[in-house]
Amino acid sequence: MGHTSNELLTPPSEADTRLQTVANTSADGMLVVDGDGRVCFANPAAESLLSRRMDDLIGQIFGLPIMFGEVAEINLIQPSGNLLSAEMRMSPLIWKESPGYLIVLRDLTERRRIQEALRDAEGFSRAILNSLSQHIAVVDERGIILLVNDAWRKFAAGNGDPNLFATGVGENYFEVCALAAEGDAPHAAAILQGMQRVLRSEVSLFELEYPYDSPNEERWFQVRVVPLHDARRGMVISHTDITEQRRHARAAAESEALRAQLQARERELRALGIISGGSQVRPPIPHHEASLHASRPTLFYEYIERYGQLLNSAVQERGFGVPDKETEARELAIHLGDLRATARDVVEIHLAALRNRSLGVPPARQQAYLEEGRMLALQIMGYLVAYYRDGVVS
Amino acid sequence: MSTIVLQLFIAGRTPRTDNAIATLRQLVDEHLSGYPCELVIVDVLTDPQQAEDRQILATPTLIKESPSPQRRIIGDLDDADGLLAALNLPPSPPTS
Repeated sequence: MGHTSNELLTPPSEADTRLQTVANTSADGMLVVDGDGRVCFANPAAESLLSRRMDDLIGQIFGLPIMFGEVAEINLIQPSGNLLSAEMRMSPLIWKESPGYLIVLRDLTERRRIQEALRDAEGFSRAILNSLSQHIAVVDERGIILLVNDAWRKFAAGNGDPNLFATGVGENYFEVCALAAEGDAPHAAAILQGMQRVLRSEVSLFELEYPYDSPNEERWFQVRVVPLHDARRGMVISHTDITEQRRHARAAAESEALRAQLQARERELRALGIISGGSQVRPPIPHHEASLHASRPTLFYEYIERYGQLLNSAVQERGFGVPDKETEARELAIHLGDLRATARDVVEIHLAALRNRSLGVPPARQQAYLEEGRMLALQIMGYLVAYYRDGVVS
Repeated sequence: MSTIVLQLFIAGRTPRTDNAIATLRQLVDEHLSGYPCELVIVDVLTDPQQAEDRQILATPTLIKESPSPQRRIIGDLDDADGLLAALNLPPSPPTS
C-alpha cells in the first residue's frame, strides 16, 4: 500500500489550495489520485457524480487513468448500483509534493438524453416523410441532396435511376435539373430558376405544374419548393403526381363545353319550333317537365347502353366514318324524338355513357371517348332537330 | 513468475467493452504467452456484488491481482502495449 495516513495529513501547499478553490467551483467532477490511483481529493461535483461524500472517497482506489486520446468514456458506479455515463480527461500533476493525476469527469447523461431525443425526433420526422406519397428531397444551398423519402426513392427507381446514382443523397440536384433542361425536359430550367429564387428569398414558395410522360402514359406533376426554416440554408422540394387531377379537370372542362354546345342546340330547336308555327314540328317537352331519366328510367338506361355501343364503335373505327354508326345514331335520335326528348336528355345519356365507358380504361382511350362522344352527341342532337322540324331524319 | 491474474470489470456489452476484451485476450495470448495467465471478466450489471466487494467506482476497470503490487487502471483499454506498461508487466521472454 503506497498510501499512509501521514500523506493525508500533509498540509496542502499554496498551489494545492488554489487548485482546490478552482475545483470546488467547477461544474465538472474533479478527482486527484496518487500514483496508485488512490483518491486524494474530490470536489463537490465529483461527490455528486459518484454519489459519495468526500470523506468516503478519500483513500479509495479509483484507478490509474489510462487513455490514448484526450478523452475516454467511462461509467461511474453509484452506491445504489446506478450507472452514470461520463467523459474522463486527465492530466499529471504534483499533489502534496508527490506525483499524481488530476481526473476531470463530465456527466454525459444529459448529452446522451439530448442525442437520443434528437435521434427519436429524426426517426419520427423520417417516418412522417416516408408516409407521404409526394416525392420529397431536402437540398442544401449548393443543391446537394441531404435527405430523400421512400416515395422519391421509388420514383427514381422506376425512372431509370434504380441505385439513386443521379438523384440520391449526396448528388447535386441543381446539376440534375441543368442536365435535364438541356435534354428533353425544358421545365427543368424553370424548376432550377425557381429553386434559386427561393434560396435568394425572392419568393417564399415556388410552384410549377409540368408534364413528365412515361413511355406508356401521359403524366403531370406539380413541384413545390419551400425554404428550410433552419440554421442551415436550403430547401424542401416535393413533386406530386397530379395526372389524375389534370384528367378530371380536363374531363370536366370537356363536359362543360359540350353542355354549352348542346344548350345552344336546344335553343336552336326551340327557335325552330316557334318559327314553324308548331303544326309540322314535334316540339320537345318544355324544360320544367320531367326528364327522360325521371319519366322513363328503363328506356333511359337502354339508351345509355345503345349510346355507349355507338361510342365504342366510334372509337374503334375512329376516322373511317362507318355508315352503320350513322344509321344507328339516326335510329336512336328517332326513338328519342318519339319520346319528345330534349337536349338535356341527350346530354344526360351522353355523360352517363361516357362515365360508364371511361371507367378503368387507359387515358388515351378516355380521351378518344371524350372526343368521339362530343361529335356523336352533336350528331344525335342534329338528327333530333331535323326530326322535330321535318318529322323525318334524312 | 507467479500466475498473472487480471480482472476486468465492465458494465454490459458494448462495442467499447468488446474492444477492451479483445485487447486483453490479445495481451494474454500474444504478449504474455510465456507466463501462466488468468483473465476474469466481471459484468457489474449481472454481478453487482463483486463490484461492491471490490469497491469498483467506475468501468471499465482492469485490476492486476497478481503478481504484486496490485494495480488498478481505468479508461481506454484497447492498446495492448500501453496496458503492459500501465500494469507494469514484462513482455513474454524469448522462446529460444
